[in-house]
Amino acid sequence: MSQWLNQVIDRASSRMASGDDWLNPVRSNALHQLQTQAWPGRRTEAWRYTSLHPVEALAGRAANESVNVSIDSDSFAVPGLDSVDILFVNGELRTELAQLDVPAGVHISLLSAPGDAARTVVGQVFTQVKPERHLFGLVNDVMATEGLIVDVDAGVKVTRAIRVINLVTDGTESHNRVLVRVGDEAEVTVIEHGAGSAASMNTAFAEYQLGTKAKLEHYRFALHGGDAIHIGGSHFKMGESSNLNSTLVGYGSQLSRLDVDIEHAAEHAYAKFNNIYLLAENEHFDLHSTIEHAMPNGTTEENARGIVGDNAKAVFNGRIHIHRDAQKTLAELNNRNLLLSRRGQINTKPELEIYADDVQCAHGATVAEIDDEALYYMLTRGISRSKALVMLNFGFIQELVEQMPNEALRNWLQPQLRERFVNMEVK
Amino acid sequence: MSEQIEQAISRKYDAGFVSEIESDTFAAGLDESVIERISAMKNEPEWMLEWRLKAYRAWLKMEEPEWAHVDYPKMDYQAISYYSAPKSMKDKPQSLDEVDPELLRTYEKLGIPLHEQEMLAGVAVDAVFDSVSVVTTFRAKLEEAGVIFCPISEAIQKYPDLVKKYIGSVVPRGDNYFAALNSAVFTDGSFVYIPKGTRCPMELSTYFRINELNTGQFERTLIVAEEGSYVSYLEGCTAPQRDENQLHAAVVELVAMDNAEIKYSTVQNWYPGDENGKGGIYNFVTKRGIAETNAKISWTQVETGSAITWKYPSCILKGDNSVGEFYSVALTRGRQQADTGTKMIHMGKNTRSTIISKGISAGNSSNAYRGLVRMGPNADGARNFTECDSLLIGDTCAAHTFPYIESRNPSAIVEHEATTSKVSDDQLFLCRQRGLNPEKAVSMIVNGFCKEVFKELPMEFAVEAGKLLEISLEGSVG
Amino acid sequence: MIHIKDLRASIEGKEILKGLNLDIKPGEVHAIMGPNGAGKSTLGYVLSGRDGYEVEGGSVEFKGQDLLDMEVEDRAQAGLFLAFQYPVEIPGVSNMEFMKESVNAIRLARGEEALSATDFLKKAKAACQQVDLPLAFLKRGVNEGFSGGEKKRNEIMQMILLEPSLCILDESDSGLDVDALQVVANGVNSQRDGKRSFIVVTHYQRLLDYIEPDYVHILADGKIVKSGDASLAKEVEKTGYAWLGAKAEEADA
Repeated sequence: MSQWLNQVIDRASSRMASGDDWLNPVRSNALHQLQTQAWPGRRTEAWRYTSLHPVEALAGRAANESVNVSIDSDSFAVPGLDSVDILFVNGELRTELAQLDVPAGVHISLLSAPGDAARTVVGQVFTQVKPERHLFGLVNDVMATEGLIVDVDAGVKVTRAIRVINLVTDGTESHNRVLVRVGDEAEVTVIEHGAGSAASMNTAFAEYQLGTKAKLEHYRFALHGGDAIHIGGSHFKMGESSNLNSTLVGYGSQLSRLDVDIEHAAEHAYAKFNNIYLLAENEHFDLHSTIEHAMPNGTTEENARGIVGDNAKAVFNGRIHIHRDAQKTLAELNNRNLLLSRRGQINTKPELEIYADDVQCAHGATVAEIDDEALYYMLTRGISRSKALVMLNFGFIQELVEQMPNEALRNWLQPQLRERFVNMEVK
Repeated sequence: MSEQIEQAISRKYDAGFVSEIESDTFAAGLDESVIERISAMKNEPEWMLEWRLKAYRAWLKMEEPEWAHVDYPKMDYQAISYYSAPKSMKDKPQSLDEVDPELLRTYEKLGIPLHEQEMLAGVAVDAVFDSVSVVTTFRAKLEEAGVIFCPISEAIQKYPDLVKKYIGSVVPRGDNYFAALNSAVFTDGSFVYIPKGTRCPMELSTYFRINELNTGQFERTLIVAEEGSYVSYLEGCTAPQRDENQLHAAVVELVAMDNAEIKYSTVQNWYPGDENGKGGIYNFVTKRGIAETNAKISWTQVETGSAITWKYPSCILKGDNSVGEFYSVALTRGRQQADTGTKMIHMGKNTRSTIISKGISAGNSSNAYRGLVRMGPNADGARNFTECDSLLIGDTCAAHTFPYIESRNPSAIVEHEATTSKVSDDQLFLCRQRGLNPEKAVSMIVNGFCKEVFKELPMEFAVEAGKLLEISLEGSVG
Repeated sequence: MIHIKDLRASIEGKEILKGLNLDIKPGEVHAIMGPNGAGKSTLGYVLSGRDGYEVEGGSVEFKGQDLLDMEVEDRAQAGLFLAFQYPVEIPGVSNMEFMKESVNAIRLARGEEALSATDFLKKAKAACQQVDLPLAFLKRGVNEGFSGGEKKRNEIMQMILLEPSLCILDESDSGLDVDALQVVANGVNSQRDGKRSFIVVTHYQRLLDYIEPDYVHILADGKIVKSGDASLAKEVEKTGYAWLGAKAEEADA
């Protein structure tokens, strides 16, 4: 047990004892779980390659108040993006929800002050999608008081994206929560946009419930860096014939850890999940994805691609779990990595756990594999070997960027990634 | 899932008989005095006993590993006997004529005749029965070439310097729970030494048989191939059909010096337990080799037996340009559970490793590949290729793949691929329409699936392995 | 332009080119025909410097330089262009980015200045139009998801952009319908300026109806066994390559 976690438990207990938070019954369950869970160490499989020392070191330190921190809105502006932006700074809402131009059929409210309809959503989604095994998810369950609820009515096709921006500043501790229900046959785009490089501790978990034939386009940008500690997850429960297209981009930081769970809870769902990590300096990025095929006829395509330079360290764990009843599942996972530096590290583990026979499952993982034929082709066009390698290497990230459905996001992300990459190459 | 497939994969275990042989068996239980007695029985020098006791003390502080994808009740290490030997072996028979005929009959029944004239030409055999080596054949012929092939208990006395130098050099005493236990209580096993520049003139083979009830077998094998030498070593194992689980915790250490090559093949056919999971061997084995510059270590295994298999034959590719290979077929059925794979630790420059793993699961069994490929910071230009394929027969079995890849070198290349497939009713129908019975059809499909691995086995074993799979898949299709 | 003398080359120890001689002057178009397995594609790979193709003997002088001594990209920068029979797909690297890099590498090697983005775009658009390739293809990954015909046209588009001195077209006609064939041929013909040379490798005479060669060579078993003018191609069209076996035996006897 760690001192930091004990402090969290103490703070949560005393708040819950004194307050009248309507979610206390749910939170106390999480609190109980926290009290019984062991603090992860090297031997804990889920934390094998990621040390929690930076979190333990926070114990006893008082967090800064963030009330008067000023924020530069350019830092998260995406030119040309048609979106409803909701800004949180250090876990506190900075947007007047009432002033928002919310598309018809979309209801946005706060966890602390939900209406009756939102309460129903919370009942269906809060802690109902995210698996209990995520320790920091439980921390978030008890600590995230100011969560955001997004409810999309059945049949509504929303063209404006909903963007939740989570910024963190120096010396703060914060906990963000997003709950999204996408009604039957509804369509929506949700962007979780996190950033900040200052020494801080942030957990950010999001739960998504997709109704029958619902369609969700999802992005999670974890664009942290420096001394920030960012631990979070995005968790999806797929309804019948629902469709998920998700892209995750991570830059890493002192400690960045994300868990993504996609549960095929009904038949004929389709999930596409791409993720990109581009790490430099001392950044650490750990992504654990788990695809649960609990029902037949589901499809999952997952691609993870990463480039690691300097002293950075990438951890990828991609698990596909096909339950006994999930016959006729198609599930593929492909993970490709490039290591640019002798001081960097890549640890990857694609896992298959299969209990049904009539399925098509495959995974592949490579480190530093270059397509010789493509290289030769480029050389015959007069391009130098070193330049060709750069183009091929970046190309393999770019390929996933190009698959992002939203053009404004593509145009915004591409040059950023390129700049990061070129800087890494130069070193 | 068709009934024919179901039937085609049920099978009888034909090495399941018990030999009526009088044995000296230690009472169950383990403490320092038991280890002292084992050491005394073997006439071991003081250093060996010290080594064992250190291992034992380390073991006491360790915890049984739980990370493998296998499930079994907690073992009671005090309920196991740590030494058992046929009475007739007490006086150390000097020739085959002095060996108890019942012992010889046991090996004959298993298809391993120990009379040299009846044996497969070109294969020397060390036969280990429970805790002792019964006989080692062709020793004279091997000695001519300078090759030492003898029970490790004998090597400890005759070649103490060699054993002292290498034992524990690849798998340290306290390496893991089962290796520590083995280091404390190992009873016999084979020792092989191939001198510099020598190509071992024949295949070497050890045949392990567990006979006694409630006895653990803890054999230890050490193979040292000096510079520029070559040896091919085969290992086979069987045990009687008993309702109790029995523990087999072996350690195998390979040392391949510069330019040496060791090829190590296993056909493991321990009793797997019955279809309800009663009885069977718990096979918890640590096998590892160190390859120096330009050396090559190749592991090939065909695993069809054991109730539980926990086994990761590994290569430490220490020298530049060294090569490691792992070819594996693991077949599980009934309630068998296998968690097997390899570790390839690339330390030297331009080291190469290849992993081909074929897992076949049927019945209610569970079959997991677990592997680690590590590219160290100095492994410039190193390469690994891994292919893991699972074949599922029926919808009540499970197949898993857990590959760990760790890279710290930008010029190292790792490639891992895994797929799953099944024996489909369509395939079966096609074969039957062409006149094959379902058993033959399934065995043909499975054999095709395993071909890449079988071709790595030495000739004599390839035939045996093919037959073994066929028997394994044989049933009573009416 | 290029003098190939007694060129011998092998792949994985197997000799494919067994003493090939060929002289090409500026502005000439040479067709190389021959049966499958004669070594036609190997010639293009050896001249461009592909890994795995071992030169066992002979020499190649390209514009006065020892070609065999040069790296793949240096050969390209010196003006040698190979249009592939099966161009590889490079997802994630756009055609535009790829060609811009390529054009400028070659320009710099020729002592010219790199093109500005606008100038490049202008040229690229013109080249695309010339081979009937929609401009959207510039934004797509190199050859990614292109049909067989689109890949071939993309190759000719690159050739037009790169302005090489010697173009080797490796079965640029294979898998094309008549319309696409015409587009490819027109693209090639537009580049015939009396200075630029071409090696047109093809299995069928069909392409030569559109690109008229100055010389036709028959390549069989790693050697040029017969040379002639355009009429030789017509002859092959009628008789096929079966006669080669008899000829070769006669020659040996």
